[in-house]
Amino acid sequence: MKQILDSAIKKGQKALSEYESKKIIQSAGIEITREELAHSPEEAVSLAENFGYPVVLKGCSDILTHKTEYGMVKLNIQNEEETLKAYQEISSSGMKLDGVLVQEMIKGNREFVVGLSRDPQFGPCVMFGIGGIYTEIMKDVTFRIAPLTEEDAEEMLEEIRMKELLDEFRGSPAVDRRALIKALVAIGDLGASCDQIAEIDINPMIICGNRPVVVDALVILDQKS
Amino acid sequence: MHISTLDNFFDPSSVAVIGASNSTFNLGATICNTLKSSEKLKDRIYAVNKKAEDVNGCPGFASILDIPADIDLAIIIVAAKAVPGIVREIAEKGTRNIIIESAGFSEEGEDGARMQSDINETVRKHGIRVMGPNCLGVLNAQNRFCCFYGAQEHTFDLVYQRPGTVSYVIQSGGVGVLILESFATDIVSVNKMVSIGNKTDVDEADLIEYFKTDSTEVIGMFLENIQHGRRLIEAARNCGKPILIYKSGRTSEGARAAMSHTAGMANNDRVFDAACRQSGIIRLRSIAELHSMPKMFTSMPLLKGKNIVVITNSGAFGGIVADLLHEAGLSMARLKPETMDKLSKTGKLFNVSNPVDLGPAISPQAFHDIYEILLQADEVDGLLPIPSVWKDFIINTIEDLNQMCRTYNKPSATYTPNALWKTLNIRSTHKLPIFESPEEAVRALEISHFHYSSARKKDKSASYETISR
Repeated sequence: MKQILDSAIKKGQKALSEYESKKIIQSAGIEITREELAHSPEEAVSLAENFGYPVVLKGCSDILTHKTEYGMVKLNIQNEEETLKAYQEISSSGMKLDGVLVQEMIKGNREFVVGLSRDPQFGPCVMFGIGGIYTEIMKDVTFRIAPLTEEDAEEMLEEIRMKELLDEFRGSPAVDRRALIKALVAIGDLGASCDQIAEIDINPMIICGNRPVVVDALVILDQKS
Repeated sequence: MHISTLDNFFDPSSVAVIGASNSTFNLGATICNTLKSSEKLKDRIYAVNKKAEDVNGCPGFASILDIPADIDLAIIIVAAKAVPGIVREIAEKGTRNIIIESAGFSEEGEDGARMQSDINETVRKHGIRVMGPNCLGVLNAQNRFCCFYGAQEHTFDLVYQRPGTVSYVIQSGGVGVLILESFATDIVSVNKMVSIGNKTDVDEADLIEYFKTDSTEVIGMFLENIQHGRRLIEAARNCGKPILIYKSGRTSEGARAAMSHTAGMANNDRVFDAACRQSGIIRLRSIAELHSMPKMFTSMPLLKGKNIVVITNSGAFGGIVADLLHEAGLSMARLKPETMDKLSKTGKLFNVSNPVDLGPAISPQAFHDIYEILLQADEVDGLLPIPSVWKDFIINTIEDLNQMCRTYNKPSATYTPNALWKTLNIRSTHKLPIFESPEEAVRALEISHFHYSSARKKDKSASYETISR
């Protein structure tokens, strides 16, 4: 983890790529999508077959913080042909990429957001709430000052208006609360212990069965530290 | 280096008022006058002005260095640009506590901010503690020490006659006046009140630590901004006494460019809300709660569970508070059959389930029995009595209930559905903790329970102060 952060800061990066961001989050003990960077079409196909279709292909770079708007996210890829086509489209965009990220496609209809920010007076704060594309419209989120106790994290789950989404829902089992609580505490610990991280956005964290899995994430760096 | 304590801000043996003179509308002169209420200080108040003239009977000097006595506390009320020099003289004198009441510092832009840091440098070097600038300083009802400027001769008579146990930190004199006047018809009153202004040194966290150790029972605060959030959290969670804060400025204070969505949504108000929950600070919803809520803590045991029983002789109020209790996260207690059984034997009640409907034909003894049965019941954590005072004996039953609450270690929050003038009159004459509306009574129960639960939570948590931003 330290390695990723140090090298990114040395290179003058303002943020980590999705791939790097999720490595940091994974090292804090939080489940992320299975994924790997491909540097050739063949490599992309072999990774996709290894994960099993359907997969997602994404252009990966630290300067690419709004991937969808640039057409750099290809969802629900079903076979080799589609993989090659998606790879071709992403890599011919003209943008400088670290590679093409091939990841398993997580299915689930419940999306949450987890974040870290730094308040000028109160320092690192953890956010939890309803994720997905409507996050900022619904603003169904709650905060705690880091570091968090497990009790703090548990209270956060109870504070959002749509907390019933954490229970059994339309045939899906209740969310693994322990895993969510552990994730919130871990993000708080990252913020409290690591000055190089300015902000974290995990959105969405999709509930797959009952497991919260980080599907997209962004780590913003503090170049001053 | 030894850093001075805060004691001399509240109980000095000698005071110099720098800037007190005989020119018209001189604010320093009003401070000299107000200080004279203190028995202890009487002939140890000194005025400092260019002409070295006496002010309102206080001996005058041209500089604090000329005063032939030790000075515990220096109060400065001169134009801002002269303050840094005066602070250096005070340091030379050996005085270690300063209240700077003058305005014109960081609140007025860069030049002012520069003067403020000049002052900070001097005081740090000498271990001096400073209140202000841009403040009123201290009122201590216990020893009649007050350095607020602009007060009239009898402004604080009522406060001094009845010193209390609620201490305040306020960033506005207007709020101070509201609180002091409101206590005229209430059962609690002020212990100490501090206006801290720009908080260049002493801030709300220092004062929480101070009020933790003095005779204060409840701490109330009106804050416009918070500079050291983590220190505030730490001081609050170590305090133990209830801390009630009303904070203005709910809009984004920390509006620095945010790159992530999280930072975009993390406005200062939401973060402050989180800080309150984590540190057990009771966040107030209205400025009136600063004076209406403390009595719940000074006169009643804490609410240890969520189950409330409502006792009323009006079905309407029963319904109203049932809604309010639900919204506050409390519940209507479900009375056990044996409790209802006991209740029905007390007299002609209209209804023995919750809300308990008293009906009109009820005696003082029946009131006593009903309250006692309910306080004894395991399924009841607190009472919300709503007795209309239609006969004088009702007042006695409220007194009786207060005694029993102490015996059974459960609280009640009483609301009398009468005209406000009548309620205030009963409250101040009989010294009873009566609330002015159903909303107030429910809120009192809610924050009592919040304080109880956060006190139990506190020891489990991690330290906040050691972590950097």
